[in-house]
Amino acid sequence: MNLDFSSMPQYTQLFINGIIMTIELTLISVAIGAVLGLIVALMKMSSVKVISFIGSAYVEIIRGTPLLVQILIIYNGLPQFGIKFPGFVVGIIALSMNSAGYVAEIIRSGIQAVDPGQMEASRSLGMSHSMAMRYVIIPQAIKNILPALGNEFVVMLKESSIVSVIGFADLTRQAEIISSVTYRAFEPLIIIAAIYFIMTLVFSRLLSKFERRLRSGDTR
Amino acid sequence: MIRVDNLHKNFGNLEVLKGVSLEVKKGEVLVIIGPSGSGKSTILRCINLLEEPTKGDIYIEGEKINDKKADINKIRQKVGMVFQHFNLFPNMTAIDNITLAPVKVKKIDKKDAEDIAINLLKKVGLEDKRDSYPVKLSGGQKQRLAIARALAMQPDVMLFDEPTSALDPEMVKEVLNVMKELANEGMTMIVVTHEMGFAREVADRVIFVDDGMIVEEGTPKEVFENPKNPRTKEFFSKIL
Ligand SMILES: Nc1ncnc2c1ncn2[C@@H]1O[C@H](COP(=O)(O)OP(=O)(O)O)[C@@H](O)[C@H]1O
Ligand SMILES: [Mg+2]
Repeated sequence: MNLDFSSMPQYTQLFINGIIMTIELTLISVAIGAVLGLIVALMKMSSVKVISFIGSAYVEIIRGTPLLVQILIIYNGLPQFGIKFPGFVVGIIALSMNSAGYVAEIIRSGIQAVDPGQMEASRSLGMSHSMAMRYVIIPQAIKNILPALGNEFVVMLKESSIVSVIGFADLTRQAEIISSVTYRAFEPLIIIAAIYFIMTLVFSRLLSKFERRLRSGDTR
Repeated sequence: MIRVDNLHKNFGNLEVLKGVSLEVKKGEVLVIIGPSGSGKSTILRCINLLEEPTKGDIYIEGEKINDKKADINKIRQKVGMVFQHFNLFPNMTAIDNITLAPVKVKKIDKKDAEDIAINLLKKVGLEDKRDSYPVKLSGGQKQRLAIARALAMQPDVMLFDEPTSALDPEMVKEVLNVMKELANEGMTMIVVTHEMGFAREVADRVIFVDDGMIVEEGTPKEVFENPKNPRTKEFFSKIL
């Protein structure tokens, strides 16, 4: 077996494009996923049975089926209803919906990890449920939620490579393109593996730094 | 002031309160004693609607509070509660713990709320702790802060659920002293406690709860010196 990276440097721009796309896709998806996830988490915690059932069902379905299958369903399914989006949008929809399922659990467990005594004390002072949530529970829950949310971002950075199957021009897809023009199957993959590795490493490091800051700012 | 009428509370199949009736007049201090698990906390929590009564009525100043139409948040403002485990807000300083509810619930000006808070901190002997976070306070200081926080809403009644049970012995007194002072000022109080000395000294009336029922009721003198019910006698023989 002979490795030959000599033809790779001329495709630097493609790799960079791929990196940017992958980071963009991940950022947008986790951001939308966080908002959707908050809604799903609140639904799941609702005292209205139907709403809480829908929230739980959403989480179970997302977590109980492969991401690839979810993407294919959205990619092939939406056109059946006459809705046709470019690959980028499909990628974002699929990853956001997926992320929402996981983020919902992160948020729910973050909120439930707050001592129930906090809610009782708040209510006993005359605060409504939503006031207590807003001023007392959520600010404490955020300390539990943010690190896990950052972790979700790192996971999604890697998982997002799956959108290459629908032609989305992310980092993985760029490797496929480069190997098809250079006839070198292995080298581009090694390069993107290294890039993914470095990206997750860098983001994880940043994350644990941020987490430490969060804790040291914690004056409890 | 407070009237509880035939209060029942079930948790699933477990019948925790089996028809509790009591009355507390304005300025009166009622002490509730009884073995662990007898339902003392549940009585207090029902009066604050932290638990919904299964059956029976609760009136505060003539208003029935366990009523669909009653405004729970308004009622709770009138009823202060102090918990065994303080339940202070760990992410806020002492003064913010006190001002949060007056500012958000009563919409009092932040500056005015702080003035009230500083007075209350003085009252409970914590004026030098206004910017401390709860983690920096001792147990006794935490509980005094929790009392100040409840008082900031200017409640008509204060409920205390074993306020000294989680404290080291040397800190019990400082909390009881604050409570005594409060009683002397005429605050209406219902206190669940195992501090029999406090009960003798401060209570106007004592009730003994066992197995979800009031089995003995009277002045401290009557209950402590001359308990009629054998279960009360047994309880005293165990703890005294
Ligand atoms: N939320 C709850 N769900 C189920 N059982 C409960 C709940 N709260 C209290 N209980 C039960 O009710 C009984 C009385 O509890 P409590 O009022 O806390 O007693 P006390 O304060 O006198 O120790 C206990 O057996 C306790 O296990
Ligand atoms: Mg109790």
